[in-house]
Amino acid sequence: MMHDNRIRRFPMLLSTLVALALAVLPLPAVLEPLRPDFLVLVVFYWCIESPRAGGLGLAFVSGLALDLVHGVVLGQHALALTLMGAWATHLRLRIRVYSVLSQCLTIFLLLTGYQFVLFWVDGATGNPVTTFSRWLAPFIGALLWPALVNAFGNLRGRS
Amino acid sequence: MVAFRNTDTSQRTTGLLLRCVLYSLLALGLIIVDKRYDHLGRIRRVLSVVAYPVQVAVASPFDGWNWFKDSVTTRDALRADKAKLEAELRIAQFRLQRYEALEAETQRLRALRESTVGVTDRFVIGDVMDVDLDAFRERVLVDKGAGDGVYVGQAVLDSGGVFGQVARVGQLTSEVILVSDPAHAIPVQINRTGLRTIAVGTGDMNRLKLPYLPTSADVIAGDLLVTSGLGGGFPAGYPVGTVAEVKRDPAQSLADVDVKPAAALERSRELMFVWLKPQTAEVLPTPAAPKPAAPKPAAPKQAAAKP
Repeated sequence: MMHDNRIRRFPMLLSTLVALALAVLPLPAVLEPLRPDFLVLVVFYWCIESPRAGGLGLAFVSGLALDLVHGVVLGQHALALTLMGAWATHLRLRIRVYSVLSQCLTIFLLLTGYQFVLFWVDGATGNPVTTFSRWLAPFIGALLWPALVNAFGNLRGRS
Repeated sequence: MVAFRNTDTSQRTTGLLLRCVLYSLLALGLIIVDKRYDHLGRIRRVLSVVAYPVQVAVASPFDGWNWFKDSVTTRDALRADKAKLEAELRIAQFRLQRYEALEAETQRLRALRESTVGVTDRFVIGDVMDVDLDAFRERVLVDKGAGDGVYVGQAVLDSGGVFGQVARVGQLTSEVILVSDPAHAIPVQINRTGLRTIAVGTGDMNRLKLPYLPTSADVIAGDLLVTSGLGGGFPAGYPVGTVAEVKRDPAQSLADVDVKPAAALERSRELMFVWLKPQTAEVLPTPAAPKPAAPKPAAPKQAAAKP
């Protein structure tokens, strides 16, 4: 069991770093609101795939990293990611046996919850973002989910 | 195929709820401490150094491409550039001829009125990093930080006019909030009439607005807005924008004024961080003594230092 977990750590850290880089990659202003929350998807994946390897600690630390690179109040993304990561971990056995469509819908729900926590903290700390485009990211993220799971499955299958 | 390989469903994550609650409380505590108190400033400054490699890694392909583009420019293009720059320099020098005299005169007049608002002392040039911060806020990351003396609230200009101010400082980088951010407001003055008001961002990089002008205010399209220097954050007299459109609805008490920013908010790559001269009594000169603040002409104007 220990051995198993140790093997999984490397792809986990690598994918987390890559997703963090994607989160700050410059995009044209038009596409920017459409940018999916890559890091959140990756954290969800690892929460569902092997909750013991990373789990909530990974979610919390990734959230802090997002707070830093986005330059928002410290703890905002960490809170959202922790809550939704815990939910994903709780649902993981069900999600694994879901059909693709149901998986996408579940992920969409989780991503929307994530955005909602961000939205709430934004408002509570006094700088609300009221544009509707914020709610587009969960759609794109949910659409990306099957591709992400496939890619990760293949990655791990080869190694 | 969408399938997870890890099928040992017997694994129970022990104490998921407990850990969730603990981490959430930790995050909430961080939010509250960061928002309410200023203790996290130092921690954040150190942590931003950790984020720096990621930001540099993301920005480097774009830097590399720019460098590549620069190094394959043709001789003709360089020549044309040089001719253009020389022409611009000639015009700028011509305009500068009377600047020193005018500045001295302004200082004397200001001294008479005992107002010594915002005089620039020195500046440092920083490069905008090719990194996206928040998609919903108008901010950029610049490669100068606390290590270079940058401080929160510092005025930032580009070659066209006022660009924004420093919102947050890391050790190596700083975040600049643009004048067009909806959360940003800047005290301005209409150059033609001297009327003072506040320009507020709209979230659109090509538009600011003046929401606090009465319908009867003397403002017309084409008016230049300059910083008034009130509030002490910005140096006085730098262009903020030009009035694009004035809509007066007789039923409303306030006019609807659109302003086009003077700075190239979307395109500027090089920004100037401005230090204001400390406002002490010595800034009020007697007419005999011409400006005791000695280092003014010889101010250390650092050229763009690209790391």
